[in-house]
Amino acid sequence: MTTTPISKLHETFLKGEFAVTGECGPPRGADMNVITKKGELLRGCVDAVNVTDNQTAIVRMSSIAASKHLLDMGLEPVMQMVCRDRNRIAIQSDILGAYSLGIRNILCLSGDHQSFGSQPDALNVFDIDSMNLIRTVRDMRDTGKDMSGFELKEAPKMFIGAAANPFADPFEYRVLRLGKKIDAGVDFIQTQCIFNMERFKEWVRLAKEEGLTERVYIMGGVTPIKTLGMATYMKNKVAGMDVPDTIIKRLSGVPKEKQGEEGMKICLETIEELKSMKGVHGVHIMAIEAEEKVKEIVEGSGLRN
Amino acid sequence: MIVGQQKPIEEIKKMVKPYKKLLILGCGTCVKTCFAGGEDETAALASALRMTFKIDGQSVEISQQTVERQCENEFIQEAAKKIGDNEAVLSMACGAGVQAIARRFPKSPVYPALNTTFLGVQESQGVFTEECLGCGNCGLGVFGAICPVTRCSKKLLNGPCGGSQKGKCEVNPETECAWQLIIDRLTALGQLNNLRTYIPPKNWKTSHSGGPRKLVREDHIL
Amino acid sequence: MGKTFKAKITLFHCINAFTERQSLSSDHVDVKVVKMPCSGMVSEVFLLKAFEAGADAVTILVCPEGACRYMEGNIRARKRMEKTQSVLDEIGVKGKRLTMHHVNATDPSAVERIVSGILGDLEELGPNPAAL
Repeated sequence: MTTTPISKLHETFLKGEFAVTGECGPPRGADMNVITKKGELLRGCVDAVNVTDNQTAIVRMSSIAASKHLLDMGLEPVMQMVCRDRNRIAIQSDILGAYSLGIRNILCLSGDHQSFGSQPDALNVFDIDSMNLIRTVRDMRDTGKDMSGFELKEAPKMFIGAAANPFADPFEYRVLRLGKKIDAGVDFIQTQCIFNMERFKEWVRLAKEEGLTERVYIMGGVTPIKTLGMATYMKNKVAGMDVPDTIIKRLSGVPKEKQGEEGMKICLETIEELKSMKGVHGVHIMAIEAEEKVKEIVEGSGLRN
Repeated sequence: MIVGQQKPIEEIKKMVKPYKKLLILGCGTCVKTCFAGGEDETAALASALRMTFKIDGQSVEISQQTVERQCENEFIQEAAKKIGDNEAVLSMACGAGVQAIARRFPKSPVYPALNTTFLGVQESQGVFTEECLGCGNCGLGVFGAICPVTRCSKKLLNGPCGGSQKGKCEVNPETECAWQLIIDRLTALGQLNNLRTYIPPKNWKTSHSGGPRKLVREDHIL
Repeated sequence: MGKTFKAKITLFHCINAFTERQSLSSDHVDVKVVKMPCSGMVSEVFLLKAFEAGADAVTILVCPEGACRYMEGNIRARKRMEKTQSVLDEIGVKGKRLTMHHVNATDPSAVERIVSGILGDLEELGPNPAAL
C-alpha cells in the first residue's frame, strides 16, 4: 500500500485515525439542491461521503455529477461505480472524467441486478466484474496504462475501495474473496451492514489469520434501524442482509415510538465494538434517507464532538 | 439442446392472419425433445388453429409436416413441395430453423411459432435449465464444469456477489447460485484453489458481442 | 340456454377404470368411446382432435389417484388435460368442455351419471363452436 496520500480519506487511514464515511443517494431528478442539502447534513461528521451509482437499479443523477457537487461544497466524495450499466470502454472513460473533476476515491461494485429496480426490462452489461474493475483502476494508477495497455497522458490516481459481505454465503469463501480483491488492488473495504456481530467477528478473525487485515483498511458498515418493520423487511426481503432474531427481539420488546431509539442504541453499540476491534479501521454509516441521523450517530459514539 | 416454447396462440394468429393456406412445419430435433415443436406439438397447434379460425369465421387451409431438422438443407428439402403449395410457413423450429427456411425459400413468408428460450438441458422430466451462452470461449475447465457466464445472473468470473444466500441467487429464489455450485463442486474435487487465481476480463470478441459469428470448416468444404 | 342439439361426447378411458358393456349413446347423446391401456397415454393432440372432429364435450375416465396400475398415468392425464383446457380457452372452445373423472371399474353406473352430468353442463355451454 502506498504511503503518499491519494485522497483525504486515504490520509485519515494513514494517520491511523478511525475513519468515518456516510452515504448520499443522488436524487431521482436533476435537482442538485438535494445533494447539497444531504451534504450539509454530513459536513463535519464524516471524512468522506459515498455517492451511490443508480443504487437498487433505479435511475438517479449520476454518481460522477453528484460527487462533483459535493466536491464543490468542499466535501470529499467516494464515487461508487457499478459494472451493471457500463462496458469497459465507458467505465474507463468515466474514471478518467471523474479524476479530471477532482474525484479521488472510487468504490468498485458489481451492482444490484436490474430486476430489482424500476426498469427490469433493461439489458445489463457486466462486461467486467467488480474484481476486474478493481484491477483496472489499480493498473491505471500504478502503471499509467488503460486496459489496452495504452500509456495514458495523466493517469488517474484513485484510492480504491470495494465491498465485502461477511454475511452472504458461502461463508468460507468470503475471506478467500476478500483476499482476491486485495490481490486485485483494493485499498479499502466497506462491509455490508453489521447486525450479526458474531459472524462479523468470525470473518475478521479469519481475515486476520490470512494476514489480510494488514493489507487493507476495513470499514464496518452500520445502519440505524428506524422501526421493527424496517428490520423484518431487511431480514426477509433484502438479499445479503443478516438481521438476527436477537435484534428483532430487542426491537419488538420496546413500544413502537421507542423503536427508533432502540435502533440507534444498537447502532452505537456496534460502533463501540468496531472501534476497539483489531483489523477494523473505520465505520461506514448507511443512514438510508436519514442523513440527519449521521450527526447524532457520530456524536453519540464519540467519533466526533 | 436448444430449448423453445410455443408462443401464445393469439400472437400466432395475428402473424398468420393474411394467409388462406398455411403450412405448419415442425422440427424433429431439439424442440421436439423439449415438447415444443415436434410432430405432436405441430399436430396439436394445427388442430387448435383450425378450430379457432373456424370459430372466427375465417377459412384457412392448414396442413402440417415435420422434418428431422430445420437447420439443415438436406432435411429442409423434404418440405419443399408443401412449402411451395402454401402461402406461408409457420415454423415450429428455433430461431435458427426459421431463418434457414426463409433463406432456402426466398418467396415464402416464414413466421416463428416458438420463442427460442435458451441452450440448456432437461434437468428432470419437463424441467429445462439454461446452461450455455455460446460465448465461443469456454472456461468450464476452471469452474468445475459449471458456467458462471451463463448461470450467474451477473456473469461474475471471480466469485459470488453479496446476494448469494443459502445457495440461491438473489435475483430469483428458484435459481441456484452458480457460485455456490462451483464452490461446492471444486471443494469436492479438491480444486478450490482454482478460485484463488484472478480471472482477467473476459474476451467477448468470440461471443455475439463480436458481431454475428461464422464458422468455416475447410476440411468439410469441397 | 336450453339444449336444442344432439350432444356429441368423446369419452377416453383407461381399460382398468371402465369397461363399456352397453352403448352409452341414446336419442339425445352420441357417445364415442376411445379405450386406452392407461389414461397416461392421453395427449393434447388427441384431445384437441376429438373437439375438431365435432365433440361438444370430451371426458377422460381414469383410475382413482394412487390406484394407477402404471403408478402415475392418471396424474399425467390430469396435467395434460389442464394444459389442453388452457388451449381450449385460448382458441374460444372453452376449457370447461374437457373434464376428467376418477372412476372405479366395479361401479359401471357411475359412468352413466357422469354422462348425464356432462349433458347438464352442455345445456349451459351449448354446442362446440368449432364443430365441423
